[in-house]
Amino acid sequence: MKVSLKNYSFRYLVPLLFVVMGIWAFLFYKTIVDEVYDNIDDGLKNQKIEIIREAYVDPNITKVNEFGVNQFRILKVSDDDYDESNHLTTEMVFMPYDGENEPYRVLRTGFHGVDKEKYILEIRTSMMEEDDMIFNLSISLIVLYVLILLSALVIHQVVIRKALKPFYAILDQIKQYRLGKNTQIQSVKSNVIEFASLEEEVIEMIDRNEEMYQQQKLFIENASHELQTPLAVTINELDLVLENTDMPEKEYLKITAAKDALWRMVHLNKSLLMLSRIDNHQYKMTDKVNFTEVLQNELETLSSIIEEKQLYVQCEKKGDFIVKFHPEMARVLLSNLLRNAIKHNNEEKKLLILIDTIELKIANSGSHIPLNPKLIYERFYKQGTAKNSNGLGLSIVKSIVEKQNAIALSYSFLNNLHEFKITKK
Amino acid sequence: MKILVIEDEVQLQRIIVEFLNNEKILVESATTFKEALDKIISFDYDCILLDIMLPDGSGMDILKELKKLQSKASVIILSAKDSVEDKVEGLLVGADDYLAKPFHFAELLARIKVALRKNQQNGNALLQYKNIVVNPEDRMVTVAGKELKLNRKEYELLYYFMLRPEKVMQKTTLAETVWGDHIEFADNLDFIYSQIKNLRKKLKTAHSEADIQAVYGVGYKLQ
Repeated sequence: MKVSLKNYSFRYLVPLLFVVMGIWAFLFYKTIVDEVYDNIDDGLKNQKIEIIREAYVDPNITKVNEFGVNQFRILKVSDDDYDESNHLTTEMVFMPYDGENEPYRVLRTGFHGVDKEKYILEIRTSMMEEDDMIFNLSISLIVLYVLILLSALVIHQVVIRKALKPFYAILDQIKQYRLGKNTQIQSVKSNVIEFASLEEEVIEMIDRNEEMYQQQKLFIENASHELQTPLAVTINELDLVLENTDMPEKEYLKITAAKDALWRMVHLNKSLLMLSRIDNHQYKMTDKVNFTEVLQNELETLSSIIEEKQLYVQCEKKGDFIVKFHPEMARVLLSNLLRNAIKHNNEEKKLLILIDTIELKIANSGSHIPLNPKLIYERFYKQGTAKNSNGLGLSIVKSIVEKQNAIALSYSFLNNLHEFKITKK
Repeated sequence: MKILVIEDEVQLQRIIVEFLNNEKILVESATTFKEALDKIISFDYDCILLDIMLPDGSGMDILKELKKLQSKASVIILSAKDSVEDKVEGLLVGADDYLAKPFHFAELLARIKVALRKNQQNGNALLQYKNIVVNPEDRMVTVAGKELKLNRKEYELLYYFMLRPEKVMQKTTLAETVWGDHIEFADNLDFIYSQIKNLRKKLKTAHSEADIQAVYGVGYKLQ
């Protein structure tokens, strides 16, 4: 189970404090009781000396053989029972005030009276009630315990919340952060060393990542770019070889196949280059673009393929969808969506297009299972059979939508049709 | 007709030169900015193939220099960059056309012909093979002296065949040059076949001496 730092140490404090206070209470009680006994016993011993002294002066005292107001008695004893040492015991004696037996401390000692007789002196005094004492002590300790916990809780909540403020500020910013968006982390100016250094490290890490990301993006662009020339050389060299008309068929076919593969590579490379350029915000100029017109043009461009594939196209144009956009990007976007709809079509051969002033929909029949919207925009993600797909078409679409920041794109699967919908933001 | 190829990639330059020589076109070449500048000042060319990125200077400056010299040469930019901005800038500075590397030779040849036609009004632009004549000026086709009506795609197909008769045009090349960038549908290039079939039929009924033949199943040629 995860707990907030605010309650984290509290979980340990509750049982620990309980144990510590328990041990402390035990020791405290023992000490107090010892001290009390000591005091009482000293008092009793003192009283004994005074009584014996009094007995020498006034032998009548030896006649006190019942506990009276003085709380002592003197009894005659035989030689056998005589013992001059002090015997201290705790006994229960009925106390009329409480109506119950209460603990008494009793001192027993023997002495010789003036008459040389052997006497035994018993002095008693009321003692504190241990069970009451324990009860009261426990109550006050529990109150103390709860009070300490409450104040600890308050201090925790208040102090830690205050101390953690910069931490949450950093956390919020990290949550907002997206690689490549070039967002700056706002300084939280914490005077807690840990948070200050956390902030410093986070900023440094982000800088490092951004730099690496930029380098990587440039690397893709440069690499794609550098590949174009050797590809051109290879393709055109093969073209020159193919000029030789008396080449045997087998070789001719092999070279043609190699050339076709190279062309695929050229297109893949161009797609990567385009993706990289889009991501690097190289298409910033925006104009009012009429998507309806662009779509019409792209449909015409693709008409021979649509015809050949015998697709049943149902195109409803109800108005002009006009958005501020980069014209070339609008063309690439719609071209890719249309190509996607053509490429992944199935034997139902449906291609539905609907466009009005607020939305644009391109729907096609295809696989009977909805696509995973999380995966379709991934680079190089390919759906099943399309062997000539380079897996970048929809990635480019997604990048354009994100970077141009004027339209929203959504995918849905309705009535066995895969539909991409564009709406204005 | 003389063409200057300004290209710093020696290998690519050699290949372009060889191809144009095969097409019986007179070619000279320059590898560096300085060499190119020397040549355009000293000689007249009908067409210049210009690589924008040269090690010792920019192709854009060569374009400006050509303007200053009031040169009549048509300029086709050859660029590995293939970016819209580059294209726009090149055309603004005075280039006639823009071709991204890598390119199909057929495409290059077609662009050269178009560029030459733009600047030369001597009317010698007719393409002729056997009894077929194509006039790119007004897109008129005559077979055995009689006009042949073709739709747009059929005309473009025939135009490419007429540019290089007796040479094989691969299906993928045709798909890309006539229909645009459709390589991703290359598993099914039957739409080319149906257009070619129509074109052949029309040529045959017009009593053409030349016919379009399939070659090894990968392409066609006019013969």
